[in-house]
Amino acid sequence: MTSPFPKSTSRPGDGRIVVRLLPAGGSGLETISYQYPLKLISPSPTVAQKSALVFLLSYGGGLVGGDGVNLTIRVHKGSSLSLVTQGHTKIFKSPSLEIVTSQKLQVQIDEDAALCLLPDPVQPFEDSVYEQVQVFNLANRASLCLLDWVTQGRIARGENWSFRSWKGRNEVWTQGSDPAQKERLLIRDNIILSHGGSQPIGLSLKDTMNKVSILGTLILRGPVMAPIGDFFMREFAALPRIGSRDFRSKEDQERDSKEMPEFEQWRSRRIDMERQQGVLWSAAQVRGCVIVKFGAASVEAGRSWIGTMLAREGSIAAYFGHSALMCVEP
Amino acid sequence: MTAQNEIQIQDEIAQLESRLQEAKARLSALGASNPAIPFRPAPSPSPSSSTHFLLLLSDSALPIGSFAFSSGLESFAAHNARASFGAFLPLSLSSYASTTLPFVLAAHRQPADLASLDDQLDAAVICTVGRRASVAQGRALLSIWERSFKTTILPSSATDALVLKDFSTLLRRESTKAGGEAPLVSAHLGPLFGAICAIVGLTLRQTAYVFMLSHVKALISAAVRANMFGPYQAQKLLASENVQDLINVVVEREWHTSVEEAGQSVPVMDLWVGRHELLYSRIFNS
Repeated sequence: MTSPFPKSTSRPGDGRIVVRLLPAGGSGLETISYQYPLKLISPSPTVAQKSALVFLLSYGGGLVGGDGVNLTIRVHKGSSLSLVTQGHTKIFKSPSLEIVTSQKLQVQIDEDAALCLLPDPVQPFEDSVYEQVQVFNLANRASLCLLDWVTQGRIARGENWSFRSWKGRNEVWTQGSDPAQKERLLIRDNIILSHGGSQPIGLSLKDTMNKVSILGTLILRGPVMAPIGDFFMREFAALPRIGSRDFRSKEDQERDSKEMPEFEQWRSRRIDMERQQGVLWSAAQVRGCVIVKFGAASVEAGRSWIGTMLAREGSIAAYFGHSALMCVEP
Repeated sequence: MTAQNEIQIQDEIAQLESRLQEAKARLSALGASNPAIPFRPAPSPSPSSSTHFLLLLSDSALPIGSFAFSSGLESFAAHNARASFGAFLPLSLSSYASTTLPFVLAAHRQPADLASLDDQLDAAVICTVGRRASVAQGRALLSIWERSFKTTILPSSATDALVLKDFSTLLRRESTKAGGEAPLVSAHLGPLFGAICAIVGLTLRQTAYVFMLSHVKALISAAVRANMFGPYQAQKLLASENVQDLINVVVEREWHTSVEEAGQSVPVMDLWVGRHELLYSRIFNS
């Protein structure tokens, strides 16, 4: 006898999250479903909660060679969602280049809706093969904050960009103001790190990384992200010129810095920290998005830098709630 | 899978065409010594015409203004106290090939896709300084096409040449358009270079090689002006087997890379190029 129930179409690693504006206000989860090795957890909502919160987890805190995660997300009109993780997403080794561990994320954000994805960095182990594709479809007034970062591996075991291959692609598409309009690619940010790619130019992958331990990309778009985007652009423009000299005496410098307003003191402390901890960053306004790229000499310096920037400006915590920032807390 | 097949077939066509041209050249050489065979003009674009354009497009005097850009070299030197050009060159070649070469190849294979390739490349260049460099040179190349090359083009390439005409009409319309939306075309160097090379009859391989060699020449010329080494050392480097090998390996590495898969293979390059704006004193625009 054939089963009267419709055949399940979900496959291992599949997951789906749907967020909708609740009648009483606030954002609620309409659907949350997942299959091994993906695991999604949402703490029971509180009254004060500003956005729906979901933890992206995997059994054992990592993905073994060949695992595939395929998550689809819909954020309905006017609602908001924060996605976080618990600890680095570990990528275990693959027996060969053909066995790819992958994560695919397909997100649709409707008008006036917002998504904040600030996860922990991906930590690819030695010999791992990883591919990540994240595609975001945004309505005209939708907002997105996306952080994508990757570390050199397990430092304690001497791993230093020792994986076989790591590919990460982020695409932002927009529907435009006219519904008849074809959707358009706004941003395609693609990073390809592999030994097979650096070998032909006679270098190991590590040699091409210039002693950077963590690499990150932050993509910001939409009305909710306008203040934080402006903040990064302003702070980038305010960075000291490389190769300039300060002709003031040490005493003068100290006296001047005491008289600075609090914000400028913070900025000057941060810039000192950037210099000491080898944080390099740049920000650019590209096709209606702000894109921040950063690298740091240690994983903690990278986390601390991005956390400081996001916390200081404050608009993400104000809109999504403090939980949205838990993975980037310095 | 079909895209792969298509590329393979196109490679095969390019090979066959070059063999055909060779055979025809041999035939006409015979014809010169044997008056019984009537002389027929070579089909267009004739081998000599494509060689002529190969030399023009690889000339460092091609007025696209590449001398104004160092593609991150100046910033690299400012960020790294013991910076050497030898360390920068392979990184720069690898990065430029992985981000841009697939667009050059795709435009050569399918000149009709020029506008779409240009828009996709614009979405992928996520750095203000790099974008400025690419667009400035692309627009200059388009002007050279319109004002100088176009009139010499043989009728056989007329349909492909129309693509460039439509492209520049679109570019003019988009640049006068107000509003916040990104323009439909920006005129980046890579896809325009690929399309123009296809129209003037360069093979795919030649196009890729000239594109990468021009990058190396611009870098080396920037290094000479930044006082990293002298002109003789520069020619020695340019002539070296190392440079030839580097170009060949990166061309081979990206030969089958689709534009969707093009991306940054040396992420710190984005940081150096992006931070060029922060240099206290600058010789170059990138």
